[in-house]
Amino acid sequence: MDAVICEGVSKRFILRPDRPRSFQELFIGVLNPSRRAGARRLEFWALRDVSFNVPAGTTFGIVGENGSGKSTLLKIIARIIKPTAGNVRVNGRVAALLELGAGFHPELTGRENIYLYGSILGLSRREVTACFDGIVDFAELGDFIDTPVKHYSSGMLVRLGFAVAVHLNPDILITDEVLAVGDEAFQHKCLGRIYEFARVGKTIILVSHDLNLVRQLCDQALWLDQGRVRALGDPVAVTRAYLDWANEKAFLRVGGPGAVRNRRWGSFEVEVTRVELLDGAGSPTWFFATGDPLTIRIYYRAHRRVERPVFGVGLHQGESVQITGPNTKFAGLEIDFIEGDGVVEYRVRELNLTRGVYLVSVAVSDHSLTHLYDYHDRLYRFEVRPRPGREAFGPVYLPAEWHHLNGVGGPIRPRLGYTPALPPFPGPQPG
Amino acid sequence: MLSAIPGSDRLAELYRYRELIYNLVARDLKVRYKNSVIGVFWSLLNPLVMSAIFTFVFTVLMPSGLPHYALFVLIGLLAWNWTVGAVVGGAQSIIAHGHLVKKVYFPTEVLPISTVVSNLINFLLALIPLFLVMLLSGIVPGPQLVLLPLAVLTQCLFLMGLALGLAALNVPFRDTAAVLDVLMLGWFFLTPVFYRVEDLAGGWSRLMYIVNPLASIIANYRVLLYYNTWPDPLFMLRTFTQALVVLAAGYLVFSLLRDRLPEEV
Repeated sequence: MDAVICEGVSKRFILRPDRPRSFQELFIGVLNPSRRAGARRLEFWALRDVSFNVPAGTTFGIVGENGSGKSTLLKIIARIIKPTAGNVRVNGRVAALLELGAGFHPELTGRENIYLYGSILGLSRREVTACFDGIVDFAELGDFIDTPVKHYSSGMLVRLGFAVAVHLNPDILITDEVLAVGDEAFQHKCLGRIYEFARVGKTIILVSHDLNLVRQLCDQALWLDQGRVRALGDPVAVTRAYLDWANEKAFLRVGGPGAVRNRRWGSFEVEVTRVELLDGAGSPTWFFATGDPLTIRIYYRAHRRVERPVFGVGLHQGESVQITGPNTKFAGLEIDFIEGDGVVEYRVRELNLTRGVYLVSVAVSDHSLTHLYDYHDRLYRFEVRPRPGREAFGPVYLPAEWHHLNGVGGPIRPRLGYTPALPPFPGPQPG
Repeated sequence: MLSAIPGSDRLAELYRYRELIYNLVARDLKVRYKNSVIGVFWSLLNPLVMSAIFTFVFTVLMPSGLPHYALFVLIGLLAWNWTVGAVVGGAQSIIAHGHLVKKVYFPTEVLPISTVVSNLINFLLALIPLFLVMLLSGIVPGPQLVLLPLAVLTQCLFLMGLALGLAALNVPFRDTAAVLDVLMLGWFFLTPVFYRVEDLAGGWSRLMYIVNPLASIIANYRVLLYYNTWPDPLFMLRTFTQALVVLAAGYLVFSLLRDRLPEEV
């Protein structure tokens, strides 16, 4: 049986910039018809002929760029808005987590808000009471439960919002990037809850920018592009096609040397013509696991003979954190000159980055590192999924072991900031 | 079959969400009274003070000649306060919960409806001091008090119609609330709150009952609580019918705009 069936769903938004927005404007329009003359009508199709079905008990992932119609589709499935054409059939009780804690009132206590929010989501008082302790427990609120939520931290609010929603026990859970909230520890907990949902045979429909999550969790994936279905089916194939396209598009967007924009610059005597990320088997991919081998292959073209170029790469987490920025000069690889086409590879034996999305920059410069021939600023993106035993908070996993040494006591550190020399680390001593 | 009646599925859904109405009303009251007895006391004091001022004006400064004027005007003021709270609050109710309407599915009707109901609770609480004023005026309520619930229900349906229609209109026309501010002041003076309809000049009293349902609603209260007699059943029935028409019109406006609300709010 299918939990959700979408048949030819289209959604048109009509924007009328000249439509009166108030009685005042309406009145002015009546008095002065010339002001109404250019009644523009802009149509915008957020979704175009989207069809798919989600069998009960499976997990369905939706990927796509911002503005591709993902949220509109979720709102239609959740019955918040109506499609312009086509129809949606839903079998079972739906809980849509499109925004956590949207209904909280600051003056009410956590307890009162749980009942209020529960009833907004369609629960009876008895149903909320039945899972009340579970909610408080999951949200880690403890004694704060009888404090007005205006005194809560933002983290506590998010935890409470998620806790109420996941304790609803719906047949179909719809989530929109809700896992991108809260601290890392709580994200893990929420993810655990979602996995639990999937395990007990609930239907899940999720939108996520975390493509690895889509690959791991989903039975089917849908790629939306400008409101149309670009790909539907196996999540590994769909997410791969999507990321191929997204990286390609990012490269095309900055264009050739003529179109120097804010993400690519340089003097272009040497151009980077293509960048590939390769896995251990040498095939291009955008998906890795912690500890996998990674090769960044840079295809270049030197339009004239260039002496002693330096090739570099940068790995970034988000827009602000640079994790590493090695280059051929630091590594002691001196390239005498280049002319014509060639390839430079940066090979990482173990990619010890933790779960997440990473961005890659690529650069060619002269030997002083001051003159850039071509710079691609964070144009490529890849994702890392966790490998058991190599998980860590923060972006980097350092290969290491933990030891517990029972009964070994060091001196108790005195106060006043005085730090005694640490005792020698017990273990095999050199010599 | 029930499902053959148009809109009956909406009503069934509304019934399923009755707990939400209850919780929204409880929230409004808790926030207003901040869980304190003093809070309730202050909200009851307001109409009493207003009534004292009107009584001073219309018995000392400009004597109206009406006996027990304090009771007379208090009845009008309580009905008027409920109307203002429900109409102004109801008109804002969907905009004020815009973040919710956009993100969570629930029947949006509950927002204006719960505003009317929470103001109803205030009205009912204010009946306590009203009965005290009645007794102080030497009026002991008679058996016709059994009709009071019908009079209250009439006003409740009337206000729900207004709140539903205005709440929906306020979404595409954002100055509905601002326009209302002006209209409410006019409505106050055109409603027999501090005067009697019967004292109006010429044929105005007849017109008043036709175009202003609130005048009939207040007249009902006054018959039951001030004149302390049995009302004209036909008049009461006509008032009730008027309220039903307003409710149907308000709900029609709401239904026409309903699908646009989550997109435009």
